[in-house]
Amino acid sequence: MRKEYIDGQKREHGRKVVISLPIHYPKEILTALDILSVELWGPPGEVLGYQAGRIQTYVCPLVRKALAFIAGGYASSADALLFPHTCDSIQGLASLIPDFGGWDGPILRFIHPKGERRTSSEAYLAREIDDFIAQAEKLAGKKLEPKRFSDAVRLHVEIDALRRRIIEKRRNIDMRDAELYAILRRGEWLWPEDHLIELKELAAKIADKPLKKGVALMLSGIVPEPMDIFETLENAGAFVVADDYAAIGRRIPAPIDKLPDDPKQAVIERYFALPPCSTRASDLAGRVEYLAAAYKKSGAAGLILHNVKFCEPEMFDVAMIKKRFTAMGAPLLYMETELEKQLSGQLSTRLEAFVEMASKGGNK
Amino acid sequence: MITRKIQYQLAKNAVGPFLMALDRWQQAQKQRKRKPRETPFGPPLEAVQKLKEIMTQNYFEGRYADGAVPVVWVTSGFPAEVFFALGFHVVYPENHAALCSTRHKVTEIAEFAERDGLSRDVCSYARTDIGSVISGKTPVGRLPKPDMIACCTNICQTVLYWYRNLAEYLNVPLVLVDTPFMYGGTKEHHLAYVSDQLGEVIEFAEKISHRKMDSEKLARVVENARDGSRLWGECLAISQARPAPWTGIDTFFHIAPIVTIRGTEVCNAYYRLLKDELTQRVAAGIGGIKNEKHRLLWDNLPIWFKVREHSTMTAERGFNFVCATYSNAWAEAGDLIDPAHPLESAAKTYTYVYLNRDLNNRLKTTVDLAKSFGVDGAVLHSDRSCKPYSVGQVDVKERLQKDMGIRVLLLEADHADERSLSGEQAEMRLLAFMESFNE
Repeated sequence: MRKEYIDGQKREHGRKVVISLPIHYPKEILTALDILSVELWGPPGEVLGYQAGRIQTYVCPLVRKALAFIAGGYASSADALLFPHTCDSIQGLASLIPDFGGWDGPILRFIHPKGERRTSSEAYLAREIDDFIAQAEKLAGKKLEPKRFSDAVRLHVEIDALRRRIIEKRRNIDMRDAELYAILRRGEWLWPEDHLIELKELAAKIADKPLKKGVALMLSGIVPEPMDIFETLENAGAFVVADDYAAIGRRIPAPIDKLPDDPKQAVIERYFALPPCSTRASDLAGRVEYLAAAYKKSGAAGLILHNVKFCEPEMFDVAMIKKRFTAMGAPLLYMETELEKQLSGQLSTRLEAFVEMASKGGNK
Repeated sequence: MITRKIQYQLAKNAVGPFLMALDRWQQAQKQRKRKPRETPFGPPLEAVQKLKEIMTQNYFEGRYADGAVPVVWVTSGFPAEVFFALGFHVVYPENHAALCSTRHKVTEIAEFAERDGLSRDVCSYARTDIGSVISGKTPVGRLPKPDMIACCTNICQTVLYWYRNLAEYLNVPLVLVDTPFMYGGTKEHHLAYVSDQLGEVIEFAEKISHRKMDSEKLARVVENARDGSRLWGECLAISQARPAPWTGIDTFFHIAPIVTIRGTEVCNAYYRLLKDELTQRVAAGIGGIKNEKHRLLWDNLPIWFKVREHSTMTAERGFNFVCATYSNAWAEAGDLIDPAHPLESAAKTYTYVYLNRDLNNRLKTTVDLAKSFGVDGAVLHSDRSCKPYSVGQVDVKERLQKDMGIRVLLLEADHADERSLSGEQAEMRLLAFMESFNE
């Protein structure tokens, strides 16, 4: 279905398609230039072909699977690849593929600044966005029109506002997590206006009062794969009440009181308003406090840190998060997955046991 | 404060030098009594004693530095010239972790960090240093508490995640120089970003140290850094001679001054001494190993805790590691440093770092080294703890084999953590690799 949709976007709308590696990139610019971003989170499941062997097994499985996917020819209908500067492994892949084979087409790069907002990083981001616009314009074969840029920013602000509301009002939506997350994650490849329609339909289902019952949990990690984690949690009597996945919650900027009229400046403000993320090297104490506050606000009964195996940025934050949550007396489970097709029996058992433990603290 | 300053000055100018002199005398006595041992190596470098003194003195001073002078902990690729010019005592946690590994202390120390929740899959240097901060355990007696820590991402992003943790554990501010990765050439706004950040770092360091940057002093330090880097490169290049007068394994240890006291006259004086000795050895036909039959290249960080065993094993069979991409990384920058434009040239120098550049450049550097040092084989250390250095090695291996016709071994290990090495398997692989040269 996804392939047919993407082909349709090219055929019917004349849009270019770019395969985007995770996580942070200015999607507004792509939208304004009629470029469809299709995100590549692995893909999960079986490794496609032998090319993953070009990267050692102790490196992030997302990157190894992406290499197999791209070098195996599965991305051949795309017009370009996009590599944001997320981590060392994605940076390595962004060099490996063009330098040693796997992709001959155009490559876009977005090297976003790391660390906290500083005068230098603000000035740099502005120039890096200019550079990214130039790369995207070349791919699109047209210039970025100011009005379309502004419209695209407005569109993404609306999308993000809806996503935030849906996550915050999770308890008031009578829907299974697996279904809800499937809709949220369709934003990874749908044309933004199509995604907006689905989000609006979903937001219309928000009731005035809480409908979800069970053990409320907060999930944090890179990407909710394998997706049957939600089914396992549901079967154990739990549901997700707060989200800090890099693929979902961490990509929704905090509301900005007065967004600048200049769309480029708006993109800069939105970037710096993103929730703390290990891959952007946000201040660690700030991230820990952000998670603690989100946890308390959501009334979750436990936190699951769900990491992709060998994801260094995320692994480095675990100790401080554990310390803080232990001090709060909050149940915490750390688990790693490798973008498998399904959760292992062992992990399912750990999740079930965790839900049982969290439930003893009661559903706050 | 005054007492601390007196202690520091005593350690630096009296006690330290006295202890070093005493050690030198004791070593000479031991040497006299020692019966010559049969080894596959050439006579030991005389400069080793001086190296040991410099590094011991550096760590010894460090014990008394906090409270006496401003202290900063920095990553190995940080433009530390700015701190030397401001009179900071500079500590290199990477060097400390490597030292812990050579002393086989990593497991004991890293476990403190692991108990706190740091996964064994993250860099073993990071685990060691964080474990050392938590436990206070260190083979160097004591590390001074920093007033600030400074991180530059030109060697990896890992250092940033690691230093974010250090900042929390130590409760000190972290300053960052974020160097955009270079795909092909660099872009003007990338260099401007690095230069701007250096300005911010200086401003912050001035506040912390209550000192103003003296531009003439900075120019002198930068000039020393340039000369030191060139001297280090010259020392390495001497190994193009046959036999090479020292081993690539030696270079892993002699790299310490250019990493940790780069920009100082002590560093440069040491490399002049070393260069003279190496030159004399070449003239006298003295090799790093006695019977150099095959010349090898080493890629990636050393396996610190196994360096001696592996080098002995290879030397016994006539194999000498005559060059290493790791040691070479600190020699590359020399010509980019311009004392007349310290910040602008530092931006370029510290962006054009080997690990901050694409794989094509890495392959080219490796091939250039292999050719200029005339190697007939290479060992690529696939380092579990250093993913950015290791990604791409599978392809590099193939290219070296195919394009240069040399034998290449991809050896999986870890730069510091003994638990991540299957010792016997690694030895078997090295042996089989060496045997293949007889086919």
